[in-house]
Amino acid sequence: MPLGGNGLKGAPGVRRNEPNSGMRLMIVLTAVSVVLFTFGARESSSGGVFTTIRGAVSVVTTPVRYLGVAITAPFQGLGNVFSNLTANQETLSDLKAENEKLKAENSKLQESQKTAERLESLLALQSTYNLTSVAARVISGPTDSWSQSVTIDKGTTSGLAVGMAVTDSNGVLGQITECGATSATVRLITDENSGVSCMIQSTRAQGMLQGSADGSLQLTLVSVDQTVKVGDNVVTSGLGGVYPKGLPVGKVTSVSKSDGALYYDIDVQPLASTSTAEEVLVITSLDEDQKASSEDISSADAQDTTTSASSASSDSSADSSASTGE
Amino acid sequence: MQVNDSNRRRRSIGRLGLACLVLQLALAPNIGIADGRINFALVFAAYVALTTGGRTGVLCGFLGGLAFDLCTTGPFGLMTLLLTVGSFVLGMEDRNRIAEDLSGSITIFMIVSFIVTLVYHLAMFLVGQASSFYDVFVLRTLPTFGLTAVAFLPFALVGSHGSGAPLSSIRGGAGPVRRRPGKFDLGNL
Repeated sequence: MPLGGNGLKGAPGVRRNEPNSGMRLMIVLTAVSVVLFTFGARESSSGGVFTTIRGAVSVVTTPVRYLGVAITAPFQGLGNVFSNLTANQETLSDLKAENEKLKAENSKLQESQKTAERLESLLALQSTYNLTSVAARVISGPTDSWSQSVTIDKGTTSGLAVGMAVTDSNGVLGQITECGATSATVRLITDENSGVSCMIQSTRAQGMLQGSADGSLQLTLVSVDQTVKVGDNVVTSGLGGVYPKGLPVGKVTSVSKSDGALYYDIDVQPLASTSTAEEVLVITSLDEDQKASSEDISSADAQDTTTSASSASSDSSADSSASTGE
Repeated sequence: MQVNDSNRRRRSIGRLGLACLVLQLALAPNIGIADGRINFALVFAAYVALTTGGRTGVLCGFLGGLAFDLCTTGPFGLMTLLLTVGSFVLGMEDRNRIAEDLSGSITIFMIVSFIVTLVYHLAMFLVGQASSFYDVFVLRTLPTFGLTAVAFLPFALVGSHGSGAPLSSIRGGAGPVRRRPGKFDLGNL
């Protein structure tokens, strides 16, 4: 049966046996192909000449492949459109279920990312202040309405003890008040019974940071002859030997002074996330340079003395005014 | 006067080969139906065989198959073998069939293309690359054949309207192409 328009055999256009018909070349190249196929099939999976050549070709042609992907990427969605149009209810249900699953996984991964970021911040804080500390996780919030405290998942078995300072990645969080074998209770700095020796970072004015029932912080005992401004950073002073010196605590949000008062009324916004902290560092010991130096103690005493002198002076003025009937 | 400019012919074939190689690398992996992908090596080999034929067609079939084997992960030398034989069959008449008989050229291309695609995928099936003949035939052979056939049509149309002349008219004094109806002339249907 003829294949071409004029047939293969005996047709005028067919010149199978003529020099240019390519019969001999076809036989030779077919033989070469068979040899290639045979050697290619015998080549071990671990590699060989053909694998190497293919690898080289792949490397060389990679830019062209990327180009193809870039060009066809905008059109890839067209296939999905047609698939969606013809998708049956079962497929759609499966896709919805898969979508829900992926959403849940995505949420989980985002949570993991945030946790990692918080831990990185903690590590940065530990590194910055050269803290000897143990990392712990907050496992519960306040157990009653009378105290502002959290429970962490480490205790005496991890080297923790009552009185140790606790900080999160932003700043001072509180102090351990109870310590079990595997958990500890941390009194937050916002607790009414909490008190932390602090100072204004810029002016080194010393004071006592105290919590309150409404969760706000007040920096007390800062003499009015000191300079305090809104926005000043409040850091630990190191007095008392519980908190390392210079650890960030909060920012001054308001400064006021009553007539005749010896101390400022200073409100402080805590830096630590006292209500949402999840990972914390428990400072297990302080180096000598993290404790308040004798100069710091002298400076604090001097401020107190000055305040006392001012107080005595104003008292005597008041007494004299009273005696003179003013 | 037509001049037998073999260098010009080689350049034309080279440019076509390069274009098909780029298409094979850039376009074929990104356009598919089921597991089928366009075989631009087959398109190239068939086009050269149908427009030039002879030894040139066979050589281009061999080189096209070799390039295909190098760019894919299938058995090495298999497409080389198939395109060498296929190009010989397509180019047996040693004339520009596309210009003279477009429908017949397309038809014979379809036949050879289907056989080449089927044999290639059957060979893959036999060497254990697939576990089901249904998958091989329905999901691979037929889509590949269909896509390749569609991809060949623009080449054939261009080749039949003078743009393909560089590959045909430069063949030693062929002169103006006279269209003649072939056995597979779809226009007569």
